[in-house]
Amino acid sequence: MYKLATEKLPELLQCWSQGATVYVPQKVGEVTLFRPFKGQGDLALGEGNTLEPPKDLFFPRTEKLYDYWASGKEARLEPVELHPDRAVLVGVRSCDARSFLLLDQVFLTRGYVDEFYKKRRENTAVVALACTQAAPTCFCTSFGIDPGRAEGVDVQMWPVPGGYLLEALTPRGEEMLKQASGLLAPAEGEKIPAPAQPSLQVELEGLVEKLQKMFDHPYWGELSRKCLGCAICTYLCPTCHCFDIDCETIETSGYRFRCWDTCLFAHYTLMAGGRNPRPTRKERLRNRLLHKLQYFVERYGQFACVGCGRCLELCPVNVDITKVIRDVKEVSL
Amino acid sequence: MADVATGNPLVPMPARIVKIVEETPDTKTFYISTDQGKPFTPKPGQCVMLSLLDVGEGMFSVTSQGPDHLEIAIRKVGVLTTALHEAEVGQVVGIRGPYGNGFPVEEMKGKDMLFIAGGIGLAPVRSVINYCIEHREDYGHLWIIYGARTPTDLCFKEDLFNNWPKVENCRVDVTVDRADEKWTGPVGFVPPFVEQLKPSPENRIAIVCGPPIMIKLVLETLAKLGYNDEQIITTLEMRMKCGIGKCGRCNLGSKYICLDGPVFTFAQLKLLPSEY
Repeated sequence: MYKLATEKLPELLQCWSQGATVYVPQKVGEVTLFRPFKGQGDLALGEGNTLEPPKDLFFPRTEKLYDYWASGKEARLEPVELHPDRAVLVGVRSCDARSFLLLDQVFLTRGYVDEFYKKRRENTAVVALACTQAAPTCFCTSFGIDPGRAEGVDVQMWPVPGGYLLEALTPRGEEMLKQASGLLAPAEGEKIPAPAQPSLQVELEGLVEKLQKMFDHPYWGELSRKCLGCAICTYLCPTCHCFDIDCETIETSGYRFRCWDTCLFAHYTLMAGGRNPRPTRKERLRNRLLHKLQYFVERYGQFACVGCGRCLELCPVNVDITKVIRDVKEVSL
Repeated sequence: MADVATGNPLVPMPARIVKIVEETPDTKTFYISTDQGKPFTPKPGQCVMLSLLDVGEGMFSVTSQGPDHLEIAIRKVGVLTTALHEAEVGQVVGIRGPYGNGFPVEEMKGKDMLFIAGGIGLAPVRSVINYCIEHREDYGHLWIIYGARTPTDLCFKEDLFNNWPKVENCRVDVTVDRADEKWTGPVGFVPPFVEQLKPSPENRIAIVCGPPIMIKLVLETLAKLGYNDEQIITTLEMRMKCGIGKCGRCNLGSKYICLDGPVFTFAQLKLLPSEY
């Protein structure tokens, strides 16, 4: 375990910037976002969750798959070769760190590996920052997430008076601390701070079993009446990963790309010929919530919610997933 | 293959349309081949992503295959399929796959087979009919019951009226919703036609594919005839983009139709949300 003095943080980030791009929470206007560290900027490591999750580092909003040329009967394509730069993601909270492990399940297992995701993921070191204070919308502990210690990260940081404690958790993390050894001091007698204790909690016991019996329940119709279908929840959700594939053609050339999509949009399941198996917001909102709380558990053994609270905070009509969980426990079948 | 060259399963390999057969006024069968021959060898019931590079990409079942080509029957319903219908022999297309589970041809061995299809629903079923014919000794009696709106809308007429009736121990019954002046065969919808023909459930597997309403009513008919849910197999469709269980949109509960389907027994479907 090592200690870094607060004033040396920019030097540490500078040090890790050698041969890599460092992404760190920074103030951008009124909000906090992961942005590349350029030697200055308004670092915001003490500010709780970033507005947007850092999933776009591995799964960009839009990503080109290949270029093509087509004219008459002839056509050819040229795949995009992806050689992502090395990256270091600093200041990831335990909830977002769990989301990476959930996205790994989607993109790296079940028969097919998403090469673009894999390359970006492998090229990125993750440095977690422990939470010592919970926001009113935080409920990560309900999903077995420890806000004081993240899963699957290379380095764990803890905020302490006058600086940060750092512990390497992987060989890559050890290498990073070695690289920065001139800035770090042995952390003798330092105590790891107590983790945050979110007051918001949900009870998950029996939830999946109850949902399995609720597909046709009128609850979904009632709930969806206030949903605007704006999909801000999807946009801000660290585990939402659905994508569309489309193309852009200008005269005889173009490219095919994938981009983020959401099951809350009507065209998502609209088939050629006009049939749509999820024709209204009721079916679409139900699908999103069941995917988080039932389908993902059935498929991968874990909930696809990490309790980061972003959707609670920013849904314009207050569709609150913690209230949904409480409601589901209470409705009669 | 594209997989080897780029490692990206979303990138198709180039192929060409080498032959086009007009099945009906709105359905054509496209024969697809690459410079190296057949793009790959799908199992009966598996699907492929076929694209016109500058138009779009769509998931289609492979209706049959030869030693050097795949056959894909496509009904004109949307932007991509309309563009495909305008394409000519020699057109370069993109193809990737094969995707999905396919029909359980191993578990079907030794059984009598009943195939019930309506309209373009015969396309995926034809792949398994032809498979059973190629492996004739592995399967018992083959019974094909097919219907379309009018005689003009019948797909694969050469198979229905010439090739399949000649196969040993194989019966073909064809009906149309509305006859024309030349039609002398049965007239009526598929579900009551099946009820009339009364195929016994004894040692038999039924494969059903067609419009959702036909599937629903045929399932009721088969239940009336004594078929249990494990004996009935169907193949589903849903909008798809990736084909590999990642993009999310073709889920039925926790299953992805592109990866875990498209073939399900009725018993399996009963455990999933009825959102198809």
